[in-house]
Amino acid sequence: MSGAVAQGNQAQLSGLLKSQEGIVLVLAVLAFVLFSLLLPSFFSPGNILALIRSVSILGILALGMALVVIARGIDVSMIATMVVSVSWAFVIARSGYSLEFALLVGALFAVVAGVLIGVLIAFGEVAPIFATLAAGSVIYGLGRTFFFTLEMQNVPPDAGWFSLIGQGRILGVPVTVVVFGVLCLALHLVLSRTRFGWQTYAMGNNPGAARITGISNRPMIVAQYAISALVAYGAGLVLASSASAINARLFNSTMIYDILLVVVLGGIGLNGGHGKVRNVILGTIFVGILLNGMTIMNIPYTIQNLVKGVVLLLAIVIDSLVNPRDEQTSQQGDL
Amino acid sequence: MTDVVEFRKATKAFAGNAAVRDVDFTLRQGEVHALLGENGAGKSTLTKVLAGLYPLTSGEMLIDGKPVSFSSPGDAMKHGIAMVFQETNLIPSMNVAQNIFLGEESFFNRLRGVNIKAQQHLQRLNFHVEPTALVSTLGAAKKQMVEIARAVHHNARIFIFDEPTATLTPEEKQHFFALVERLKGEGASIIFISHALEEALSIADRISVLRDGALIVTDEARNLTREKIVQAMVGRQLTDALYGDAAKRVARAPREKVLTLENVSMGKAVRSATLSVFAGQVTGLFGLVGAGRTEMMKIAAGVLKRDFFHGGRITLRGEVVRFRVPRQAVRRGVAYITEDRKLDGLFDTMGIAQNVFLGKLAKGSNPVSVIGLNEARRQSAEWIETMKVRSIGANARLVELSGGNQQKVVIAKSLIQAPSLIIFDEPTRGVDVGAIAEIHQIIERLADAGAGVVVISSYLPEILNLSDRILVARQGRIVEEMTIDEASEEKIMYAAVH
Repeated sequence: MSGAVAQGNQAQLSGLLKSQEGIVLVLAVLAFVLFSLLLPSFFSPGNILALIRSVSILGILALGMALVVIARGIDVSMIATMVVSVSWAFVIARSGYSLEFALLVGALFAVVAGVLIGVLIAFGEVAPIFATLAAGSVIYGLGRTFFFTLEMQNVPPDAGWFSLIGQGRILGVPVTVVVFGVLCLALHLVLSRTRFGWQTYAMGNNPGAARITGISNRPMIVAQYAISALVAYGAGLVLASSASAINARLFNSTMIYDILLVVVLGGIGLNGGHGKVRNVILGTIFVGILLNGMTIMNIPYTIQNLVKGVVLLLAIVIDSLVNPRDEQTSQQGDL
Repeated sequence: MTDVVEFRKATKAFAGNAAVRDVDFTLRQGEVHALLGENGAGKSTLTKVLAGLYPLTSGEMLIDGKPVSFSSPGDAMKHGIAMVFQETNLIPSMNVAQNIFLGEESFFNRLRGVNIKAQQHLQRLNFHVEPTALVSTLGAAKKQMVEIARAVHHNARIFIFDEPTATLTPEEKQHFFALVERLKGEGASIIFISHALEEALSIADRISVLRDGALIVTDEARNLTREKIVQAMVGRQLTDALYGDAAKRVARAPREKVLTLENVSMGKAVRSATLSVFAGQVTGLFGLVGAGRTEMMKIAAGVLKRDFFHGGRITLRGEVVRFRVPRQAVRRGVAYITEDRKLDGLFDTMGIAQNVFLGKLAKGSNPVSVIGLNEARRQSAEWIETMKVRSIGANARLVELSGGNQQKVVIAKSLIQAPSLIIFDEPTRGVDVGAIAEIHQIIERLADAGAGVVVISSYLPEILNLSDRILVARQGRIVEEMTIDEASEEKIMYAAVH
């Protein structure tokens, strides 16, 4: 009896190790246990809370990225959209308009940027990586030239409710984490229960088949990039609220690679067509543990980047092994 | 005679489905060996193993009596094996000479020197091809010559021709056969894959027939007849069920006109094509490769766009239409079921039920509508049942299914949209024999129920068995129209090539 159970568990475990999700879950648990044992300050309520909070913003950004990646795209302009739209909103608020109005303008800017990028990809048929790479530079350049000059934009004074986003708590849980959780739930429902979600998977899986079936690929692409831009803006607001300022220099940081790391590591294949919200959560937690642990160990920033780079590379290699698109699998149809 | 190639219990499986199963096959020194079989019988797979494109799953491959296994086409080439594909593997933007020397260039090349060497080589083979001509300007037959010249230059002695005559005119065919004789005279061994039985009977020394991946018969060509081969290809009991007596069938009467194409043109592929499709009957559309039949129908379904100027007129149920995207056609009840399901037919890593229900979703208009999962499951299950898709469950991913079941899912995905004009492009390509009959039944039932049905096929028995009315396409036009009572294989083929 117990033998059978053990066998069942073993089968479950070996099944776990076969999927990328499973591998990452096991690695995350291992890292957590290891850090908890080796680093006395890691396993403390304060640090765990800080860990989750710091990683929530990355997680929010990764949700937007995940939507685009599932549809076989990629959006490397997210950071640019984030810093420019939030900074501009703050500038407007400080020049005498109400904060609410300013935030609305910021949101509008983000959506317009996303729509334009989407149009470029959907109708101009530019490869997403190039389109968003170039668009990111354009957005950042526009912002720095016309909208704001200082790198550091502080949250406008007397923004009472706004600072609650980053610093408040609901039932003891930081609002940042609550926002991440709510967005996770929302994206999960969209992907699994709406026409838009199902068609997003279909598009990522086989754009040609999606088109012939009667799915409007192009408006869908535009919508996806608009949503990811809006999500980037939301993440920017949370970030600015918790740090009381937004730093445009983030555009030049490795943040966009951290987002990709979360998405790929979590198991959302870059080939598109699969991946769920739980992959994002998993990726977020693993990257969070990794970054937090390395920071506590006082590992220099450059070495942290090296570690992240190596992990990203490994994740991409595993991704292409787990989700192969080679000649043999693609030729099954014409035996 | 010695065997240059031998397969022993050769099996090649893709994702657990055996495409070639326990095949014992030999190719003798200096013979022409025809390999026959229906679509999906495993001919291409077997020869692709020999050409180094796939490794064997089990069994042995021997060249000159020594066991070998190739890890790449380059490996096979080193053993003197050359495969000439239906679509030639030449580089269109380079000239003939450059293509012949491709892969054997010296470190520094002078175009003139290469041209002269190619000229000598072509002359020795007695090929009339200009070495300085760009490959993109050549016709199908000349391209084949270049490919053969290249193979000979690489010291090939075992040639595999995959449907070499499909794209050739009768005159070019004669050239090709002379060429095969010449290669044979020089001691080469040749495998010849074909659909055309007469060709095989006249040119081959031996003939092998494959069915569902198994070798059914191998014999001297003179011991075989057309009837024997057909019987081996389809199996006795299936012949009647599948490609039954066309003469006995009663043609369905046409009802109202559903679709009309008038002088529709698109680039060089479709040139002023005119045709009509009627409700309540099956319209068969036959044509050789490159006749533009697929393109005509893709234009009607909005998959391709016709020329903006002088592109002709398309009328759908009396209304002039110009579709920019397939969605517009789908919403007006036009379904195009693709000839290449892997390319643009199915969502391979998604489940059966999801695939089917996506068809339903695509027809709707509200982008944010919430899906009732139970309703989705129920509707998909209904269609899976109707189409007799056999699998371990509704959540089985499409990659795990056989070709026939995949095709049924693709059809179900379109039929759930309740279309009134359904275009089947090669509906039974790469489909197992059992499923062919079932798919044919579905097509018949649709026509009986009053839908307009178009079947594009390059397999004549299929056209003759299904159609009430037959259109023949050649060079981008419809050149012949006949009812099933007037039609015969010879008549259709004559219209298609002349």
